[in-house]
Amino acid sequence: MNRNNFLPHVALALVLILVAAFAGQLRRWQMQWKHHVRIMPAEEKHRGPINNIESAPYETKIPSAPEVMVKFKQGVSEEAVERITQGLNDRVEDEIESVPGLDAIDDLDDASPESVADEYRKLPEVEYAEAVFEISVDDTPVTPRDPRFTDQWALLNEGARGGLKGADISATHAWEVTTGSDKVVVAVLDSGVDYNHSDLANNIWVRPNNINPYDDRQLGTIQDVQGYNAVDNNADPMDDNGHGTHCAGIIGAEGGNDIGIAGVNWKVQIMPLKFMNAGGYGTTKAAVEAINYVIDRKKAGVNVRVISASWGSTQKSRALEDVIRKAYESGILFVAASGNASTNNDRRPHYPSSYNIPNVISVAALDRNDQLASFSNYGVKSVAIAAPGVDILSTWLGDDYEEKSGTSMATPVVAGVAALIAAKNPNITVDDLRTKLLASVDPLNSLKGKVTTGGRINAAKAVGAH
Amino acid sequence: MTKEEATEKARHDLANRLGIEPSEVTEQSVTDADFPDMALGAAPAGEMSGQMITRGWKIQLKAGGQSYEYRADKTQLRLYKFKGKNYKV
Repeated sequence: MNRNNFLPHVALALVLILVAAFAGQLRRWQMQWKHHVRIMPAEEKHRGPINNIESAPYETKIPSAPEVMVKFKQGVSEEAVERITQGLNDRVEDEIESVPGLDAIDDLDDASPESVADEYRKLPEVEYAEAVFEISVDDTPVTPRDPRFTDQWALLNEGARGGLKGADISATHAWEVTTGSDKVVVAVLDSGVDYNHSDLANNIWVRPNNINPYDDRQLGTIQDVQGYNAVDNNADPMDDNGHGTHCAGIIGAEGGNDIGIAGVNWKVQIMPLKFMNAGGYGTTKAAVEAINYVIDRKKAGVNVRVISASWGSTQKSRALEDVIRKAYESGILFVAASGNASTNNDRRPHYPSSYNIPNVISVAALDRNDQLASFSNYGVKSVAIAAPGVDILSTWLGDDYEEKSGTSMATPVVAGVAALIAAKNPNITVDDLRTKLLASVDPLNSLKGKVTTGGRINAAKAVGAH
Repeated sequence: MTKEEATEKARHDLANRLGIEPSEVTEQSVTDADFPDMALGAAPAGEMSGQMITRGWKIQLKAGGQSYEYRADKTQLRLYKFKGKNYKV
């Protein structure tokens, strides 16, 4: 090199180094910009040029979301995946370990997700590629076409007959998520059920062929087809009072069938049990026998998740307590009426609702203005939750419908919501089911100091609709 | 069972329990009533009943200077707190 040319060459080299350094910094700045996400008002939500980034009205530093999910064919190595993604100026944001070959891929060119997915679909190494899309719950309330649904204020209270709009269990929102399942069995322990009622017939449990008839060493073999009658110890739990049919309709009158009303569950299996006679009363012995039947059926493989118990007395029975505890050990929730004496169950217990067993939920009644019903028992320690229980329209004998009041009517509302939860979460434990129910309330001032949760059951919350 | 039939049946039941003639039992009042449950709020020991408000009749009778209360609906008649206990008639 000529000594006279040395200095110009050094100067040129310095300039080139500075240019390269500046270019590198520019590249880093560009990469940083690309990992910013622009959050724009809805009307401005369009893909703008990257150099407009400084004019973005709102900007926050959060990682960009992957645009595509790509499943590479079996045998394509991680190195090959890396080579492919880098070649397309993309990066693997996450490998989905449970599905070998499936990757969430982030496009660094800011192209549209569909066009990126198209690029991958053309590659021989790719099994499939799809654009990432948002999944959201359809927030359109679901209203059944049952003609008397408008009278079911407990499910949707629009303020009729002096009621408070919104004082309901948000059933129409819950139904956006689930309307129930014919895999869930709810035992209605009552005066029986009119299993021929046209709004119930399709939701009545029928013993599957693979389950043996009920066999009791002392009582003998009962060819149970659709439940059990503990009054007469036979296989016919037909209701001759109406109370049990009313409770069954609240839980699971078939929804959307153009007939009568909708239950909290449009689809469910109601297991009719009769332990109360035509007068609407029965013995603790018959109640124990009927619960024993439910436990037996559960052990035989029937998916009984809930017993709905709209009855009681102030007299304690150890035998009844013991068999309800056995139901708990079998994974069955026991929802019970708090009673209608307007008294405090913390001081004057009402059974079975006051038994301190982990599967028991005691239910108070509310009117259509979210006020504790004048007749309802309460108890901040012993009554867990409240539900609509005044002027409740439901199924009745003779293919009819009647409005009835009582904690009897509030109880199947909660039992029905429990069944909805079980429909959405088939493997939920009885403990978790109880916890979920009690966490799914709308707090009400009228219930402060009256029930443990201080609130009314909300079916939408229970199934995660809100 | 009608209200009249229930009242007559109650009068005879009370006379029988007290060992007197039915004519010695007088009717104080018979009124419509809402009872707290299907045992008409008069469950005897060992009985469980549906917790549904039940419409019926409160029958007040008098005998020997004392008042007695019966409760009835279309299907049943009960004696309320007779010497501290409830009875199905």
